Amino acid sequence: MRATRPLALAAAGALALTACGGGDSVDTGGGGGGGDNTLVAAVSAQPDQFDPHVTTAYASFQVLENVYDTLVVPDPEDLTMQPSLATEWQTSDDGLEWRFTLRDGVTFHDGSEFDSADVVYSYNRIIDEELSNSFRFQNVESVEADGADTVVLTLSQPTPNLLERIGSFKGMAILPENAAEDLDLTTEANGTGPFQLESSDASSTVLTAYEDYWDGAPSVDGVEFQYITEPAAALTALQNGEVQWTDNVPPQQIESLGGDDDVELETTPSVDYWYMSMNYGRPPFDNRDVRRAISFALDREEIAEAAWFGAAQPNQTAIPEDSFFHLDYSPFERDPEQARQLLQQAGVTTPLTMGLMVTDEYPETVTAAQVIASQLDEVGIDVQIEQLDFATWLDRQGAGDYDAFYLGWLGNLDPAAYYQEQHQTDGPNNYQGYSNPQVDQLLQQGATETDDEARKEIYDQAAKIIVDDVSYLYLYNPDVVQAWAPGLSGYQIRADKAINFENVELP
Amino acid sequence: MTGAPVPPPDAPVAGQGDAKGTSPGPTALRPARPRWRETLGLLARNPTAAVASLVLVGIVLMAIFDETLAPQGPSEVSVQDRLQSPSWAHPFGTDDLGRDILSRVILGAGVSLRVGFLAVGIALVIGTLIGLLAGFYGRWVDDVLMRVMDMLFAFPAVLLAIAVLAVRGPGSGNTALAIGIVYIPIFARVTRASVLGVREEVYVRASRSVGASDFRLLTRHVLPNAAPPIIVQTSISLAFAVLAEAALSFLGLGTQPPNPSWGLMLAEGRGFIDIAWWLAFFPGMAIFLTVLCFNLLGDGLRDVLDPRQRTLMAGGGR
Repeated sequence: MRATRPLALAAAGALALTACGGGDSVDTGGGGGGGDNTLVAAVSAQPDQFDPHVTTAYASFQVLENVYDTLVVPDPEDLTMQPSLATEWQTSDDGLEWRFTLRDGVTFHDGSEFDSADVVYSYNRIIDEELSNSFRFQNVESVEADGADTVVLTLSQPTPNLLERIGSFKGMAILPENAAEDLDLTTEANGTGPFQLESSDASSTVLTAYEDYWDGAPSVDGVEFQYITEPAAALTALQNGEVQWTDNVPPQQIESLGGDDDVELETTPSVDYWYMSMNYGRPPFDNRDVRRAISFALDREEIAEAAWFGAAQPNQTAIPEDSFFHLDYSPFERDPEQARQLLQQAGVTTPLTMGLMVTDEYPETVTAAQVIASQLDEVGIDVQIEQLDFATWLDRQGAGDYDAFYLGWLGNLDPAAYYQEQHQTDGPNNYQGYSNPQVDQLLQQGATETDDEARKEIYDQAAKIIVDDVSYLYLYNPDVVQAWAPGLSGYQIRADKAINFENVELP
Repeated sequence: MTGAPVPPPDAPVAGQGDAKGTSPGPTALRPARPRWRETLGLLARNPTAAVASLVLVGIVLMAIFDETLAPQGPSEVSVQDRLQSPSWAHPFGTDDLGRDILSRVILGAGVSLRVGFLAVGIALVIGTLIGLLAGFYGRWVDDVLMRVMDMLFAFPAVLLAIAVLAVRGPGSGNTALAIGIVYIPIFARVTRASVLGVREEVYVRASRSVGASDFRLLTRHVLPNAAPPIIVQTSISLAFAVLAEAALSFLGLGTQPPNPSWGLMLAEGRGFIDIAWWLAFFPGMAIFLTVLCFNLLGDGLRDVLDPRQRTLMAGGGR
């Protein structure tokens, strides 16, 4: 039910149970010629399915990133939108009509030509069937072909972040026309990307290079994604040379891996953020002073350090430092005295009991919750940690049956994606029940403002109010941590955690 | 009818050794020492069981005085002191949140033992009652009760416990309940088998023939004489209950963080085994030691409580 790409990737964990931990001899998979030139990547979970328009699982997108294309793609360096299947685009003066010119000579993996009908089909499938990303088209009135090489999107209101909406990840992938009728998209794929989906089973997913890829055939013959749930096992496999790449690195090992010659480790600040949310429907957490007291009682440095061993940046707002839209605003420094005063002012009798929902699906929530419990204990708040399986967790979040919870959101590029759905009155992800007319108005303004500087100004204002009201209690932005075999080249670690093996070359 | 007094249950055993040579008469039938003291005495002569009991007494004392003994609170987080190797300040080192592992092992003893005793208590009371009724009355009572027990027994133990926890939600109390339910059939079976052997004994029939009520028969004659295997089972089950609590906590279903439990500490320490062995080692040792001692005590009790062995031992034999 969570719309943007949440960390709420329910399927990933459930499937991790069925994924056996690597260990098999390196099966280079069929097709693709010489097996020695296949990259073996260790990932933590099995994809739940391969329909890009339906799945919300990160494990699926790790694979799909290499199989499908979108009209535009984020630049690996700064995540600004660059041409992909669309080579150029024009916006009408009123901002209500976007014309995309499509690339020539692109073919799907089955050999069929790519044209505007495929784009119209793909977008309308998402809109008409109200699939998980349909909200990204909320301002789109129609998607029409104008000849074989042009697609026109007509909007109901100016949407400055339209490119981010249709290009930020492969959930907006272009499928061939009638793909849903011709193929079983949950297990099959027919994209325009650099690799074709060869096979997938309970231990691995195998991709083979697509020789006719429009940007030139990839350097390797194929990619095998092996599911290795245990971070320690994934790391060992990398050190032994059984796999050449992994994103399943235990944070506590980051430091010691720095000096390890068998492993090349890289980190980069991600666009994810982790937060605590309190339920406005449960007194006394509807009281702004109580929420502010809790915010004053926390030491974000210590929480980030505990969960990520230094590989996370404490942040009191959502948007990370490297982003243009970052706001340097930190009104809450740890101050137990002020926290106690605010609690008293709110008329709360201590000890106040607060349930904190966490899930073993994301172990850092359990770790962080224990630090939070210890810090809040000092100001007279007795935190009862409730460790749930993720399905139960989501049910209770949806039902509003909690005092507070701890979770994160990942992969946001545009400021609207950070704030709109989470903090607008009755927003789809506003589970906490926050409502502030001023914020609503600012978010509406920001969604249609076309000038970047002016937009930043608007979102800065909104963010300040959200932080001050403690709608979300923002804690930190973790780093992306990935490791690969020394000598592996052509791979770029990205803040949005997209994993693209198009140009990778084995040592 | 003023016939010969019904021999007390333990007469054939206890009369021999110490009572020998005292004046004959009705008192001769009474043991010179209470039976439990004799049992303890015999146990003390079994070195392994004696050491195991001592260690267990130590662990129980540690669990009782945990707050006093623990140098630090179990949940005092101090991230800057994380992952320190064992030292004088922290004899067992510190964990990934900078908590003192010695303190957590000590406080974990209370959690583990409470769950263990509670679980075995539940299983002991309910299971023994069911076994007693089934064995004593036989026929349809036996059939009905034992078939239900067979059904419970058909589930793998951990699976059944997980099912109970899935319904009741995780936590220490529910963990005890879940483990208790799992062990009910074992106690029922052991008790029933023992009762079947006892209920046709001469003293039971004699007592019945003088008009003793079923209640009296069960409580005065059948249960005391059917008890030894149940006592042994209790000790061994305690070992398994501690282990089961650790397993369920390891899976995240038992004791919830930040409360210390050995199984939970083991689970938390697992990810650090490469860089900080002490996180998992000490709770692991605690589980190992406790389970081993309960098992050794169980073995010792079995030897001591077996009438034939006991006669031999009491007579000075080996």
